[in-house]
Amino acid sequence: MSTAGALAVLRERGGDSAAESALLGAWLLAQAGLEGRDSDVTVAPGGARDSVVLREGRVSGTAHGVPWARDAARIALLIDGQVAVVERTAAAIEPREDLAGDAGDTVVFERAVARSAPGVDPEALLVRGALTRIALMAGALERACAIAIEHAGERHQFGRPIASFQAVQQHLVTIAQQAALAAVAADTTARDRGAFEIAAGKLLANRAALSAGRAAHQVMGARGTTREHPLGQLTRRLWVWRSQYGDEHYWSTRLGAAVARAGADSVYPAITAGSSILSV
Amino acid sequence: MLRFAPSELTDAELALQAEVREFLAVELPRGSFAPGLGMAGARDERFSRALAARGWLGMALPRRYGGAERGVVDRFIVVEELLRWGAPVRYHWVADRQSGPLILRYGSEAQRQRFLPAICRGEASFSIGMSEPEAGSDLAAVQTRAARASGGWSLTGTKLWTGGAHENDWCVVLCRTSEEDDRHRGLTQVILDLHAPGVSVRPIAYLDGSEFFNEVVLDRVFVADELVIGEVGSGWAQNTSELAYERSGPERWLSTYLVLEQYLREHGASDERAQAAIGEAVAGWWGIRTLSLSVARLLDAGQAPVAEAALVKELGTRFEQEVLDAIWQLVPDPPDPAAESLFERLLAAAILGAPSFTIRGGTNEILRTVAARALRA
Repeated sequence: MSTAGALAVLRERGGDSAAESALLGAWLLAQAGLEGRDSDVTVAPGGARDSVVLREGRVSGTAHGVPWARDAARIALLIDGQVAVVERTAAAIEPREDLAGDAGDTVVFERAVARSAPGVDPEALLVRGALTRIALMAGALERACAIAIEHAGERHQFGRPIASFQAVQQHLVTIAQQAALAAVAADTTARDRGAFEIAAGKLLANRAALSAGRAAHQVMGARGTTREHPLGQLTRRLWVWRSQYGDEHYWSTRLGAAVARAGADSVYPAITAGSSILSV
Repeated sequence: MLRFAPSELTDAELALQAEVREFLAVELPRGSFAPGLGMAGARDERFSRALAARGWLGMALPRRYGGAERGVVDRFIVVEELLRWGAPVRYHWVADRQSGPLILRYGSEAQRQRFLPAICRGEASFSIGMSEPEAGSDLAAVQTRAARASGGWSLTGTKLWTGGAHENDWCVVLCRTSEEDDRHRGLTQVILDLHAPGVSVRPIAYLDGSEFFNEVVLDRVFVADELVIGEVGSGWAQNTSELAYERSGPERWLSTYLVLEQYLREHGASDERAQAAIGEAVAGWWGIRTLSLSVARLLDAGQAPVAEAALVKELGTRFEQEVLDAIWQLVPDPPDPAAESLFERLLAAAILGAPSFTIRGGTNEILRTVAARALRA
């Protein structure tokens, strides 16, 4: 699967372990020169709770929130710039569900044998992971937008569609604006995968997840807050993806620091030319 | 959901961008002038004529009227660079942005020949005569009356918030030429000579004390038939199409750009709060610029993306205010409007200017209604 193709699958279908594996797992292994096209490797996203060490070719410790670890053939980790790949059967999997009810397993390693190679910058993994999350979030926001608009046109209260109320229109416009920002971020980063565009795109997608998610729920009323309604599945995933591979603080400070390093005269050229003139 | 197709600038467009940047660096080097905030830049006829000499005024107009036939995106690129530089754009601003395109689209051949070459040379300045005391967001409530007179019309009424009426040559006035059951009919746009007998202009001080706003009282002002734009009675539709041009450009998201740039120039950004504010703002500009540019592409394709433009303006103007708030929060003391620091002066100007961002050219509440209607369609 090509990168652009896999991103399109993520955007269209929401979570897809094969596409994610191709985009992240296979990519990470290739970066370390471990192997080319591994179609079934999940990547531990890393996080403050994780405590994993790599010593003498063996991994020990715990990784949290590993997508679909229970189904993957292998689990890849980035530990101090070293890529380590462990067979799933060599680790203990505690099945866990994330906020969205998706498999985000806890994986416990006890001196698990790993193949490893150096040479991957943790910041590069964040960029790559953010690329996948932008695609996922743009797709979810587009569907949430469609749900809210359809509902507002059909649902009548006080004798008229709720979409005819200005206060509701305000929410619909917010959702449409934020979904549009996430959509152009996904379109652009699928074509041009520079770190500037991905940093800005993840920031916009994160902001969109928060504000459009809230607005969409407000439009849907009580029914959107139930497990019976599809909106909640979309927003719950948005809230998971928002935290993965860089939250707003991470990307805003990283992007801002890069812009500041380049200096005041370079701010606008960076906005218009992005990664072609600024490394983030 | 409204769709916005991102696009890259072509090589020719990038060359134009580079040309404008070089022009500004030479013609208007940093430190040689007092930069303005977006379209609130200073008035400088000499500078406007220098732009005209490069073919950058009325640049989307046909060559036979003195234009460069270069399209909406090319104009977008020029305007974007001028605004982010803080260039003095006021003299030609309205003429270049909307009066020119309006006259091209609806004006008579005689009007085109009379006004468009002058606009392209930077020798005709325009004001917008829409708002009135009783007609703000509800523009169809305009009460300025045009009564039939020999060879033309006699206008009586009051226009309000008319930017630049004290210094410009012409004003496109929306007035009522007949009473109709449907109040969107019977409205007409005319080109009014701001120096004609019966026109009195009273300045209204803005929050920062500047006198750009005006009340324009018209007392039996004669407007000849040849200065009626388009059809008598069709002013509403013409006026609406004018708004797509007024609402879609970089002036809706660049008003506070220089505040951030100058903050960085004077203070740097070594702490995380400043870095976060700058990162957020740069990401926002990147995204909103992409949306705004896609609207310009739609205009070039001959479409009338009224709803898309409304959506972007509503987003962009709130964003301009958010950028201001984020930078403002990095500063411990109230800014001094007369400070030696350019940053401090720009910050003060932005604080006082910001309330108008989400009002001028259509309030955000009206824009949401326009956009929401299209979302449901």
